Amino acid sequence: MGWFGSKKEDDQPLRHDRQKCWESRDAYFACLDATGVVKPGDEGSKCKETKVVYEQNCAKSWVDYFNKRRVLAEQQANVLAQVNSQASEAKRKS
Amino acid sequence: MNSLVRRQICKSSACLKSSFRSNRTCRTGIHSRRMSTLPEGGSRDKSTVGVFTPKAAALFIATGAGLFYYFQYEKARLAEQRRKELEDKEVGRPNVGGPFNLVTQKGEPFTEKDLLGKWSLIYFGFTNCPDICPEELDKMSAAVEKIDSTYGPIVQPIFISVDPARDSVAQIARYVSDFHPRLIGLRGDYASTKAVCKVYRVYFSTPPNTKETDDYLVDHSIFFYLMDPNGKFVEAFGKASTEDDVVARIEKEIGLWKDKTGETH
Repeated sequence: MGWFGSKKEDDQPLRHDRQKCWESRDAYFACLDATGVVKPGDEGSKCKETKVVYEQNCAKSWVDYFNKRRVLAEQQANVLAQVNSQASEAKRKS
Repeated sequence: MNSLVRRQICKSSACLKSSFRSNRTCRTGIHSRRMSTLPEGGSRDKSTVGVFTPKAAALFIATGAGLFYYFQYEKARLAEQRRKELEDKEVGRPNVGGPFNLVTQKGEPFTEKDLLGKWSLIYFGFTNCPDICPEELDKMSAAVEKIDSTYGPIVQPIFISVDPARDSVAQIARYVSDFHPRLIGLRGDYASTKAVCKVYRVYFSTPPNTKETDDYLVDHSIFFYLMDPNGKFVEAFGKASTEDDVVARIEKEIGLWKDKTGETH
């Protein structure tokens, strides 16, 4: 923290900060995908490297938000796939 | 006078029972329904005038007149309906927008009166927003850019913060510089933020007991509004609207405005 309240300014997520956060998030999530893990944190020590960068580049609130959203999106995709397969099955039967 | 007398005659039983000649006299004097109801008279009429009996003629005229009045009535009704529809468009406008009192990123006061004379696109969000706000603001900025190139700067993009605890004037100034150069960033204290959100029907919820330095997200409505140069609500755009949808809608409204007032704003 500097004398002129520069800390606050550094906290302000500007475009390039957001970009950096999003990119490290994508890298971490790609690693999770590769290891077949949906819920962040369940991967053990496998994606440690990307996780550290991700948590460094994104605020904690953002990390929580992205992690929650990843799980929700996965659930949504599952439900959607289920519905679609049921629909196509029903079509086949009729 | 003459026909009246004849009618009298005709109505009398003498006439009906009279000879063919006098019967004809009666017929020319009046269109005697009474006569055609008589079996003999009716057959005689048919033989003389064919299928065009007085009854048919009356029916024809009545139907014609009926249809004429029906169409007149329908035409009037449709015109009335169209007029009402136009009125409804004014009346059916959602009651979004109203007085507010905020401060720009330059520290200048800004109220609903500053919206007048220009179209405005208004987005509610917060500077610590992870992804949706910047995406929506990028979309909004791109749409404004496109309108700018065709019409000039007649659409004012506006960002209103729903995070009064953390979004200071300086912070908003830094934030809006990321987007459209004309983007105005507004903030107010909690009460004025609450008030502007109320009149714009925007929901926002900050976690309880937050401090300026806390790291939290604000849950809020994520659409942006198009307001006309009178400051009246026109449309709300959500995540599903693309940049092109927004531009097309604004251009359509500008066209309608031009038809009405002769100006683009």
